[in-house]
Amino acid sequence: MSAWFALAWQSRLKRRSASFAAVALVVLLCVFASTRLAQAQTAKPGAAAAVTCATCHAGVSASYAHAPMRHALENPGANPVLDTHPKLTVQMGAYTYTVQTKDGQSTYTVSDGTDSMTLPIRWDFGQQSQTWVLEKDGNLYEGLVSYFHRDQALATTPGDGRITPHNLTEAMGRKLNAWEVNQCFNCHATNALDGVRLKLNTLTPGLDCERCHVGVEQHMADAIHDNFTTLPKKLKTMDAEDAANFCGQCHRTWDTVVRNGWKGVVDVRFQPYRLENSKCFTGNDRRISCLTCHDPHQPVNHNDAVYDSKCLACHGGGKASKGATAAAPPTAKACPVAKANCVSCHMQKVELPGGHAVFTDHMIRIVKAGEPYPD
Amino acid sequence: MFLAPFLAAVTKRAARCRRPMLWPALPPLIVRCLLILLLLVLFSAIPGRAQAQQTAPQFDDVAARAAAARDQQNLPLAIELYGQAEQLKPDWAEGWFYLGLLQYSSDNFPQAIEAFNHLLQLQPNAPPAMALRGLCEFETGAYDDALRDLDEAVRKGAANQPRNEQIIRYRLAQLLARVGRFQDALLQYQFFAAKHIDDPDLLLGVGLAGMRITTLPKDVPAESRQLFEAAGKAGYIFLSGDSQGADTEFNQLFARYPTAPNLHFFYGTLLFMHGPELAIPQFQSEVAVAPSNPAAHAILAYSLMFAGRFAESRPEAELALAGAPDMEMAQLALGRALAETGDPDRAAEVLNQVLKRDPNDLEAHIGLAVMYARTGRREEAYRERMVCLGLAK
Repeated sequence: MSAWFALAWQSRLKRRSASFAAVALVVLLCVFASTRLAQAQTAKPGAAAAVTCATCHAGVSASYAHAPMRHALENPGANPVLDTHPKLTVQMGAYTYTVQTKDGQSTYTVSDGTDSMTLPIRWDFGQQSQTWVLEKDGNLYEGLVSYFHRDQALATTPGDGRITPHNLTEAMGRKLNAWEVNQCFNCHATNALDGVRLKLNTLTPGLDCERCHVGVEQHMADAIHDNFTTLPKKLKTMDAEDAANFCGQCHRTWDTVVRNGWKGVVDVRFQPYRLENSKCFTGNDRRISCLTCHDPHQPVNHNDAVYDSKCLACHGGGKASKGATAAAPPTAKACPVAKANCVSCHMQKVELPGGHAVFTDHMIRIVKAGEPYPD
Repeated sequence: MFLAPFLAAVTKRAARCRRPMLWPALPPLIVRCLLILLLLVLFSAIPGRAQAQQTAPQFDDVAARAAAARDQQNLPLAIELYGQAEQLKPDWAEGWFYLGLLQYSSDNFPQAIEAFNHLLQLQPNAPPAMALRGLCEFETGAYDDALRDLDEAVRKGAANQPRNEQIIRYRLAQLLARVGRFQDALLQYQFFAAKHIDDPDLLLGVGLAGMRITTLPKDVPAESRQLFEAAGKAGYIFLSGDSQGADTEFNQLFARYPTAPNLHFFYGTLLFMHGPELAIPQFQSEVAVAPSNPAAHAILAYSLMFAGRFAESRPEAELALAGAPDMEMAQLALGRALAETGDPDRAAEVLNQVLKRDPNDLEAHIGLAVMYARTGRREEAYRERMVCLGLAK
């Protein structure tokens, strides 16, 4: 009896417990559901905190983390170059420059032997070779010396060689006007500008996904609700003309260089412009697009042979190639000299004056020995 | 009297001679006559030489006195003496220059123009004289002549001398705005902003050029000055490099004068120099304020074209051309937009209209290069690109 009561009590207890648990579960589920609903209702652009591009695009996000564009601008404390070169010094005319790094903080000092000026390095432009933007009295200055990767040393910042400083401030750097500053940060950072106003305190250093893939925030907000109707524009499908204009936003478009009348070897830095000067450039042919050879999510490949297949896509000697269209002929004249290392003959390596670096001229041509750089 | 027998003898001698005579073999009497004649001629020249010998010291003296009067700031006397000196030696370029300069300094502008006319006949490529004549022409109301002279003088370097630079640029800027070359006028005013030279009349000039008013500052009615001066101040702040200060100033103006035509146009024009995408919102606002202004539609279309927003550029260009069919800026924007949005034939037609007027229009050639590139006409695209590179030089 007692056993029965005991069992009955246990059974009642279990039932009560079960009932209680069920009620509690329902309540919890309701609370959870209402919370999710509230989250979903507020999941507007920018509210998808936990979701990042890497949530769905893990592979490309991982590789892009190491791409140079991702590190086009760095804040202090994230500069391996300066960490491995804790003290850099150079004498330029009457001035001595010292860049010192300690505990992740770098300083830039200029001295004329009597007086000196030391400023914290606030912005590192470039991943390997670097130029620093310094702040003094509310103004931004481009450091008059930069670090050059090839020489592992400091030297005059490209373009500043013509400056003859008359005092410590002028020796420290070139004062940047508001438009230059905007242009620098707009190409080296993400969300740098609000109209004409620079957002130094809220910008994201380097080129984040959204710098190129406009609309990713909306896409992320919608994608968590299985809505894939607001995809950002597919950049992969751009033809050669569109790609050159897109990359040219920062690497300079053909239009920009021509309108400004920029001439000389310095143009070698403006790859879209140089590429469009090639005889083989065809605007509606994807086989000659920037993206044919370069994946912006990857570091640049310096092995010339890697690019052979891109050249042979047109110059394959009769084989119809991937990417050929009615407008773009499947084949072009095959090279009578070689079928490998095309770049070594057809894309000249050019030493950039004052740049302490060699650039590949993207004006594809038959390079003749001793010919002047074609403007 | 002497010549009659001489000629008769020469004629007789010639008649006797069998072959054509280049120079007669003269008899002794005639030789004597000839010598006498020569002496007479020489003697008759002596008083002339003596007069010239007299003129040179006289000219030197007058010129020296003129220079002394000029140094002593005795302008009436200096003018009188330079005038005398020029009568003695009309090819004295330096004298004409000082005479013109002194007349200009004495507000005798027509007389100054006359002096500079003489000088420029002697030295057609004298930029300072050209500039001074232009300034005088401005004062006499000969504005077209003044613009021609000042424009050319500045191109030839007349504004490189700090002493004259301000007045030359100030007058030139006004004249450029008067004929609707507003952008060129603002470039001249930029010189003052860069040097932080401040003056209410200058601000008025900047405002007029910025708001596309062809009236000269001196002719602006008092009741209109406030808006133009305020706009000029905002523009001036921008041109002096303070973009954020100018942004604040312009936004205050937009609030105060929400329907003023060409105010957004002005700010957009300034922003365009630093990036078309910055200017687009201003031009869109301008179109909202003045929907029937073809120039506003044209510059919006042009900015959208520069920013690569071709589909948006196209309807704006069409609107501009509906109001002003020959507006070049709109034709360029439309041609490029058509090339980029898949209507190459019409693109070529529109761009060639521009090239018919100006075969060296860079933007039209860029449009054609793109049109060929977009349609896979590689060789034509390359040819056009090379034309552009040649023009860009």
